[in-house]
Amino acid sequence: MPESSQNAPPAPDPETTTAAGQTAPGTAPGEELRFSVQGNGQPFEVAVLALQNLTLFPETVVPLGIGRPRSTAAVESALATPEKLIACITVRPDRSDDTDASSADLYEVGTLTMIKRMERTGEGMRIIVQGTERVRVVEWKQQDPHLRAVVEILPLPRTVDPEQVEATKRNLQEMITEALALLPNVPPEVRLAVLGSVEATRLSYFLASILNLGVEEEQKMIEANTADELVRLAHANLAREVEILQLRSKIASEAQTEMDKAQRDYVLRQQMRAIQKELGEDETGEAAETELLRERLEKVELPEEVRAEADRELKRLQRLPPAAPDYHVIRTYLEFILELPWLKSSEDKLDLAEARRILDEDHYGLEDVKERILEFLAVIKLRPDTKSPIILFVGPPGVGKTSLGRSIARALGRQFERMSLGGVRDEAELRGHRRTYIGAMPGRIIQSIRRAGVNNPVLMLDEVDKLGNDYRGDPSAALLEILDPQQNNSFRDHYLDLPFDLSKIFFIATANQLGPIPAPLRDRMEIIPLAGYSDREKLEIARRYLIPRQTAENGLNSGQLKVTDDAVELIAARYTREAGVRQLERTIGSIARKVALKIAQAQAENVTVSANELREYLGPPRFYPEQARKELPAGVATGMAWTEMGGEVLFIEATLLPGGRGLTITGQLGEVMQESARAAQSYLWSHAAEFGIEPAIFKEFGVHLHVPAGAIPKDGPSAGVTITSALASLYTGRRVRPDTAMTGEITLSGLVFPIGGVKEKVLAAHRAGIRRIILPSRNEADVDDIPEDVRHDLQLVFVSGIAEVLDAALEVLVANPPPTPPSIIDAGRGRLPEPEPLSVKS
Amino acid sequence: MITGDNFPYSLAMRDIDKEFSLIRTDRRVMPSGRLWNPAADVYRSADGWIVKVDLAGVCSDELEIEIHESLLSIRGCRRDTHYRDGFVFHQMEITYSRFEKSIQFPAPIEGASIRHDYKDGFLIINVRREQD
Repeated sequence: MPESSQNAPPAPDPETTTAAGQTAPGTAPGEELRFSVQGNGQPFEVAVLALQNLTLFPETVVPLGIGRPRSTAAVESALATPEKLIACITVRPDRSDDTDASSADLYEVGTLTMIKRMERTGEGMRIIVQGTERVRVVEWKQQDPHLRAVVEILPLPRTVDPEQVEATKRNLQEMITEALALLPNVPPEVRLAVLGSVEATRLSYFLASILNLGVEEEQKMIEANTADELVRLAHANLAREVEILQLRSKIASEAQTEMDKAQRDYVLRQQMRAIQKELGEDETGEAAETELLRERLEKVELPEEVRAEADRELKRLQRLPPAAPDYHVIRTYLEFILELPWLKSSEDKLDLAEARRILDEDHYGLEDVKERILEFLAVIKLRPDTKSPIILFVGPPGVGKTSLGRSIARALGRQFERMSLGGVRDEAELRGHRRTYIGAMPGRIIQSIRRAGVNNPVLMLDEVDKLGNDYRGDPSAALLEILDPQQNNSFRDHYLDLPFDLSKIFFIATANQLGPIPAPLRDRMEIIPLAGYSDREKLEIARRYLIPRQTAENGLNSGQLKVTDDAVELIAARYTREAGVRQLERTIGSIARKVALKIAQAQAENVTVSANELREYLGPPRFYPEQARKELPAGVATGMAWTEMGGEVLFIEATLLPGGRGLTITGQLGEVMQESARAAQSYLWSHAAEFGIEPAIFKEFGVHLHVPAGAIPKDGPSAGVTITSALASLYTGRRVRPDTAMTGEITLSGLVFPIGGVKEKVLAAHRAGIRRIILPSRNEADVDDIPEDVRHDLQLVFVSGIAEVLDAALEVLVANPPPTPPSIIDAGRGRLPEPEPLSVKS
Repeated sequence: MITGDNFPYSLAMRDIDKEFSLIRTDRRVMPSGRLWNPAADVYRSADGWIVKVDLAGVCSDELEIEIHESLLSIRGCRRDTHYRDGFVFHQMEITYSRFEKSIQFPAPIEGASIRHDYKDGFLIINVRREQD
């Protein structure tokens, strides 16, 4: 029942009479409100609004957004009443799900509010409510469509000890002044409200609603039944907040003095940490990090020794402050240990037929190489626990050494990792640096294994012949240990300082030359030489791999570019000079680009490039390989040389110098070659009679020996046979057969020794148009390497002594006899002999 | 140097304020009395005071006017009597429920005669000094 105007005002509360008159406008504190709809002091029924993370206090105005179905229904129902009253009760914080709260989730004490404003927004509504008095739920009436309860109005908190309350309140106000000084952005209304309000209960409620206390603290305050308790709670909470505020301001002012932009992040983190520490929440950070490492270590499979070491390091890490320089060193070390595949191997899938297929698919030709690879694979298949062989592919650039390695990995079903050793000159690069050094890292071997992720990859050591080796270190010595099957099951990287088993790795090394590889290293490896490709093989490779690949890479369809076989042959011979096929591929690539331009400009639909058109695409030929000369004057012989690019034909020219002395040698010849020239001359001198040479000629004529092209350095013993032939031709006047080329090392006693690079040399000679070749008889076995079609064209002459060489090389007839030495003229008839008529056997 | 709001540091500090705020700026809680106060004009007339209160829609039964020394208190309750079943509020800006208004006069007015009346929706209170 509403009170009427005739009712007498209630007697003022004796405890608060002193304050009467000061609180205008407003109800005197402690005075119970009249005009309540459902009658004074009697429980009444009202709609209930559940508040999430928020407690509403009496004597505050708060805007609220309403969206949930139950809340909306509750507000609608309250608006339908004449007084628009609604009770706001907070949801208990332990409720975690986000659904509409039910009565069981709510506290029992809340605030009765009147809805002052309501407006509809897109999603729901916004209301402004004003808290009037505290209420307690007596009985829940309904859950749906909205919460409804019978509530009773709770009296204002009683004051038990007025002095105590007054003292605390003054203290509160002092603290507020202090806090406001530290807070720059407090709205003036708030400032006025907290400082102007002198009534302890009202001040406490307002502080509670603006301080960030959390639902539990706030609920404690709203449930406080005495002003003493309420003020005490407000004081404690504000004190804590002010302390944080002061701390923060202290950090801020300290930080500001020495802060620049770069330090900004650091300062912010420090602030956060300080605050977290103050709140007792600094459990995250480093402790969590070491904890995480420990968990990972427990999960990972590790050998016993490694685990012991890792545990020891982890213990050290836990004791260290994160600022210590060692902290990060140890952490990276542990992470590295975690990432290494200590016990993780991939399963071999070894099917020899499949392996053969893969090797054939990836590489044309190289029959004997594939055969040897398959032999190794067969052994691995039969005895899986056997030590993997260490294969060394030696051959000129571009012949497919690296890609053979890949194919082997593919055939074995293993991971493939490649590391280039070219230019590595420090042992530490392979074996790592000790952790005592700043920025220490594990060596390349261990890093490759980590990248591979398994402990049995195919590991390719590229360019072992280009390892640096000087006063700064000798990495090949480290390779010795790595590649020794007896030792490498407990390889110790300096960084790891733990034994790692390398014996499961399939090592493949590549080199262009055997020479620079130290003998002990060479000794550990199975050497598989890869010779250069013949023109026929190059044609085949171009047809099968290079042309399709370049066509695709330059955006052409398979039908749009055709290169005829004779064009490919011409490119191989005249536009490139190599044993491999890299330049060939690049040249085909540049043709493909020019064709792509034509097609893109719609000048053509598809293009066939024949030998005649090459000049148009590539310009004039770049190389003119030495061709067999049609006729050789006396003193000139055709030899063959091996280069990294394959073989070459070269000519050795000798001429007599009347009145000169000794042997002049030009053409950038190395020491070995010069010596073999001297040996050749000495041999001929000592056997002059045998070959019908006038001995005086050696004494009275000097000889000049020259090997073009003069700018290219040449060396090696294999020209011995050719030099001998050239000199013999010079001294006897019998010309060397122009269709014949030769190679072989000679000895002073007249033997012919075997030489290397037979295949390349023979191929080069064949290319140059030579059809007759003199080879040391001990090289007869190498003939098998020569492709069948080339061998078919050639006549091979095998020799074991110099006499045989000269028999095979020199024409029988004397074409232009050598001059007679002057001493003979003086001693003899005093005149030159009649020259014999020139006659050449056709 | 840290000057003004342009420096990123002050921006960052504001972000931190959001995270660890002492004052919850998001709630926009404002202090109030326990009940709402209607607006009032006070005129001084030859024989007393005229108080005009912006208080339409309050039935006389629910109005209580009281004088204590120099304080005039108006209390009451405004109820929404227009609401019918089937209505839905689209917006609400008028405050209902209990209100109170206290007006402090410069001199005691106890014993003055009080008459109240509604005129054009305003509550007009005539406070007339005792005729003596």
